Amino acid sequence: MPKLKIDGLEIEVERGTKVIEAAARLGIIIPRFCFHPGLGPVGACRVCAVKFEEGPVKGVQMSCMTDAQDGMVVSTTDEEAADFRKHVIEWLMMNHPHDCPVCDEGGHCLLQDLTVAGGHGIRRYLGKKRTYNDQYLGVFVQHEMNRCIQCWRCRRFYQEFAGYRDLGALQIAHHTYFGRATDGQLESPFSGNIIDICPTGVYTDKPSRFTGRRWDFERGPSLCIHCSLGCHIITSARYREMTRLEARFSESVNGYFICDRGRYGFYYTNHPERPRRARIRTEEVSLDQAIQTAAQKIIQINQKNGPKAIACLGSARSCVENQAMLIRFCRVQGWNEPTYFETPTMAKKVKRAVARLDEQLAVSMREIEKADFILAVGADPVNEAPMLALAMRQAFRNEATIVVIDPRPVFLPFEFEHLPVAPDDLEPCLTALIKGAVHRSAAEKMGEEALRFYDTAPAEYPDAPIKNRMVKITQKLRQSRYPVIICGTSIVRETTPDVAADSALLLRAARGRAGLFYLMSEANTFGAALLSSEEGSVMDVVESIEKGSVKGLMLVESDPFRSFPDYERLKQAVDKLDLFLVMDYLPSFAARLAHLFFPTQTLFEMETSFVNQEGRVQFATSAYRGGIPISQISAGGHPLRVFRRDIPGGESQPAWQILAKLANIISLPGREMFSLSKNELWSWIAKEYPIFANVPIADELPDDVRVHLAQGREKLFPSGGQIRSGGLSRENSTLELVMGDWTFGTEELSTYSKYLQQVEKEPCLFMSPKDASMLGLKDRERITLPLDKGRLEMELRIVDTMAPGVIVMPKHRQLAWQKIEKWPVKVAMGQIRK
Amino acid sequence: MGTIKNLAEGITALLKGLATTLKILSRKPVTEQYPEYRRPLPARSRAVIVLTRDPDGEERCVACYLCSAVCPVSCISMQSAEREDGRRYPRWFRINFARCIYCGLCEEACPTLAIQLTPNFETSGRDILKLVYEKEDLLVNHGGKNNEYNFYKRAGVAMVGDKGTQINEDKPVDLKSNLP
Amino acid sequence: MLLEWILGFVFLIVKLTIVLIILLTVAAYLVWVERKLLGRIQARYGPNRAGEFGLLQPLADLVKLITKEDTVPQEANKGIFLLAPGVVGLMALLIFAVVPFGSGVTLWGRSIPLVITDLNVGLLFILALSSISVYGIALGGWASNSKYSLLGGIRGAAQMISYEVPMGLSLVPVVMLARSFSLVEITNAQSARPFIFVQPVSFILFLIAALAEIKRIPFDLPEAENELGAGYHTEYSGMRFGLFFLGEYITMIILGSLIAVFFLGGWHGPLLPPIIWFLLKVGIIVFTLIWFRATFPRIRYDQLMNTGWKVLIPIALLNIVVTGALVLGTS
Repeated sequence: MPKLKIDGLEIEVERGTKVIEAAARLGIIIPRFCFHPGLGPVGACRVCAVKFEEGPVKGVQMSCMTDAQDGMVVSTTDEEAADFRKHVIEWLMMNHPHDCPVCDEGGHCLLQDLTVAGGHGIRRYLGKKRTYNDQYLGVFVQHEMNRCIQCWRCRRFYQEFAGYRDLGALQIAHHTYFGRATDGQLESPFSGNIIDICPTGVYTDKPSRFTGRRWDFERGPSLCIHCSLGCHIITSARYREMTRLEARFSESVNGYFICDRGRYGFYYTNHPERPRRARIRTEEVSLDQAIQTAAQKIIQINQKNGPKAIACLGSARSCVENQAMLIRFCRVQGWNEPTYFETPTMAKKVKRAVARLDEQLAVSMREIEKADFILAVGADPVNEAPMLALAMRQAFRNEATIVVIDPRPVFLPFEFEHLPVAPDDLEPCLTALIKGAVHRSAAEKMGEEALRFYDTAPAEYPDAPIKNRMVKITQKLRQSRYPVIICGTSIVRETTPDVAADSALLLRAARGRAGLFYLMSEANTFGAALLSSEEGSVMDVVESIEKGSVKGLMLVESDPFRSFPDYERLKQAVDKLDLFLVMDYLPSFAARLAHLFFPTQTLFEMETSFVNQEGRVQFATSAYRGGIPISQISAGGHPLRVFRRDIPGGESQPAWQILAKLANIISLPGREMFSLSKNELWSWIAKEYPIFANVPIADELPDDVRVHLAQGREKLFPSGGQIRSGGLSRENSTLELVMGDWTFGTEELSTYSKYLQQVEKEPCLFMSPKDASMLGLKDRERITLPLDKGRLEMELRIVDTMAPGVIVMPKHRQLAWQKIEKWPVKVAMGQIRK
Repeated sequence: MGTIKNLAEGITALLKGLATTLKILSRKPVTEQYPEYRRPLPARSRAVIVLTRDPDGEERCVACYLCSAVCPVSCISMQSAEREDGRRYPRWFRINFARCIYCGLCEEACPTLAIQLTPNFETSGRDILKLVYEKEDLLVNHGGKNNEYNFYKRAGVAMVGDKGTQINEDKPVDLKSNLP
Repeated sequence: MLLEWILGFVFLIVKLTIVLIILLTVAAYLVWVERKLLGRIQARYGPNRAGEFGLLQPLADLVKLITKEDTVPQEANKGIFLLAPGVVGLMALLIFAVVPFGSGVTLWGRSIPLVITDLNVGLLFILALSSISVYGIALGGWASNSKYSLLGGIRGAAQMISYEVPMGLSLVPVVMLARSFSLVEITNAQSARPFIFVQPVSFILFLIAALAEIKRIPFDLPEAENELGAGYHTEYSGMRFGLFFLGEYITMIILGSLIAVFFLGGWHGPLLPPIIWFLLKVGIIVFTLIWFRATFPRIRYDQLMNTGWKVLIPIALLNIVVTGALVLGTS
């Protein structure tokens, strides 16, 4: 461990640490443009020069290119080095345009800061400035190439870190240009990060163009809830409008970056149609009045039909507080427990996954980067949880082998082995791999159940082409030191999460170290699974309504019309209800139908907590106080010249507070009264769910708190080592319909974003060439797909990277796919027509 | 002895004072009779703020938020927006003169010479809301203290002309050429 | 006899009315005069907006004062708070009852003395009333229940007590020379030679002590603006403040009259009618007061006390002894 002295302060760092990082650890921030802790050094900008006074290196050197070594004495304030840096900035400014007033980076521009810090105020160079023509880079990124100082950060991120090729460096030397070969939308779903990392204003945020300066924004740490990973973000709000999101550094979750879905998905908060007033049918009333009316209706139904006549649906996009309060509400009223999942299968899958994670097995994305073998089962990272793909790419850059077992045409921004097998064959394929790579003795050590698991696993996968490819993969797995299994929960069968966990346990026994990483469907699916005790589902609730045993339905930030497979049936059920109460912040279809509607607050307006898919409890602060954006009230003109005390449209409240108020009115005397204090709610959660007892309710935002049900459990194989025998003998007359996610267009909240809507691809049906040739269909033909309750028309795409016997379709916003009676869907082959 | 001297000095001082005031009594007052006589103010005296225009008649203000940032009493607010041709402009621009202290920092901060203080100081009225000026109240049809300056001629962004056509600029780099 | 009495009463009422109106008008215009003079001494114009030369300014002020809200502090002692300005105004008016402003005229065969009432103890009456008027200040300051007012009131009381003694003592030689307490008698005793030439020390002592009594600059410690807000009348507004204000300016006129009567020979003078002489003398004194205000800074509280007790009283006593000896010696 080299020990060195920087500005008189001593520090010991790991071998390989650069001097610039060592200094940062001491709190000395050496100027930098090209160096980025996420991207590493390149030595392009020359502005991090420091003076090495003693030790193996002497003189003025680049601190980002020099490894810290023993005996180094470094001065950052040395006159020679400071003078060097000053001149570097002057050189960089030679061609920089003087357009700070019309540049969106102004105010948080690194070049601006360092120009001021370097004292360069007057231009001495009288020659002409180099100029570049700009490119159209799509909806998210604004290009202004004149401002470039050639630090290479964008290219290094875009190509090396993220693995996309369409943006890079063109030309040479003085003419180096960063851009695309031709104008066009950037292909990478991580393109927004080049805005964050560009030290000047070459790439600026297009949707929030000219909306404000950094100093005008209300900024705060928050969370991204557009997938289950829970990336850390910084919010910027101004004039009651969320304007911009940026990545917030998180050691274990997202690192320095976030994906475009997270960055541009927040526009549901400002949605012009977002309901902001409470409603009784179509009449807008005050929130208190609506609560009173709701209380009366609920009391009536409870008296007439008993406490079980009202059902509640929560959602996995709600925060822990909302979910917990809904459960508490139902328990105190003696109602049925609320439901958080669409189908019983989904509930079981998630609950099993949640039950299997423990502190040793669960890995964060940072640990995935360190893995040398990644096995993804039923997961499509770029589409389901984009940042996971980025983490996997870092593992790939560290020479890891990456294998994806999935029926869908999975794309990842790096080379990987794709084993396209049907959903039924995921488990056999996975276990066959594990069996090939793990010796039986490892299973023996772990006990009877492990052995049963090992023995039930198929020795080899029957399908020949895939079997052949598996040989090499098995070999790699056998040599791996740190394998990680990534398991999706959306398209897989009920038992797959358990099988993945069992496999990970076996791998751990054999390799000494292994990780398990589940992907879940929504931001707080993990929390919902932890909190809800029953495995009820929306399907059950709909059945009860049809039977007439349920007369009232309360939706808390949930829109079953989006996710329930049979739209017509749900609509008819809702029409039968005596009371249909909706609390939400989205202009959802359910909100429109509601008899009673309550506006709730989004994540950005309240203090909340979410549990991400690895069981990490994360906290978000409120970014602003809510209300209708000034730009919407004044229709673009100046703010109204009226004085008022309240915030226009600021009636929304956190759903859990509305629930608490409602409960306090309908509660019979003697029953528990709910407080509106978040601490009180959390102490209830900690009491009812001991797993949450260690979660600190603090003002600071801890991000290293994980809750795991499996912690300290003696029985490692709760499933008893059972493996469902695969459905390898498939009849050839039907195709299974698999509905997956797309990066843009399928996730509920982000579909309300007008910018993501512009980059959404049109939904299409994927089919393997084998099936297509049997049906005589050609690529890009329009076809009709018959479903239980109607047909769908869309384009057909034939891809050879997917499993035969399966057709894949996104749960796309533009697709009215909710015509399905029951999962899984089998489509008779002959019925797919042009 | 000292006491008497002190007393004498004291009395003299008092009398001197009385003499001084009496002398001034006969002098003509220096006060200017304001509404009847309006003193011509220097062009750089600081009162009501205006938004000036470029030589080509466009709004100079690019809504960069520097004036609102520097304003010590936060009396300037605006919303920047993009015109169809990409030009940055204030969608609304509001100065609350009831709060303004006429310090002139906004004018110093303005990079485009848009915001300028004028000698016109007669704004008092009975309705405080009349002191809240919107953009249409602030915009004038001239360049104020400098009629020649055009920010976009120097900024280096393509607005009043294409890239490379403005003051002190080279032709844009040809990406297809191999010449150095 | 009854008719005679009724006629006398009517004449008295008419005289009282005329004197009151003139006094109030003069007091009101004194404000204008003071502001105008102060303005000119500071090379300004002074009030010149209401009417020609600002002559309607007093009227404008009156309208303003009457229409202003009359506020009473929440914690004030309401009765006393409301009473205090009245005391000040009333006492100031009452003092004028014994001031002779002319030798007397004959109308329809009746001799009318140009004095409201010629008390034979007029001088003592003046001293007594001036002592009472301090109650207005002390009570007003205390009843306001404000720290500034209280300090102002206390300062006022202390200053009055301290300077009443030298003021009284400085008038003893005048009484000794005139051999009477009646102001008419005192005036008449100066028909040949005003006392200012006989008693210059007394004159100076009285001027200083009386300035302190009426709280004029440089002795305006009870209402020292820069330390106490406005002293005892900090909490007053509207016409109640106006009464304090009125009292102050009437007192200025009275002081002018008293100095004219005690030292400048009252209405006596050659050529001009007596009333003009009297007004002239009052005018000169009032101008001097304003002039002082424009010239001198306020003295410190310790200086005030030192001057009163250690300088003025000994000199006054010495002056009495010397005058007494001379009077005894010459008679």
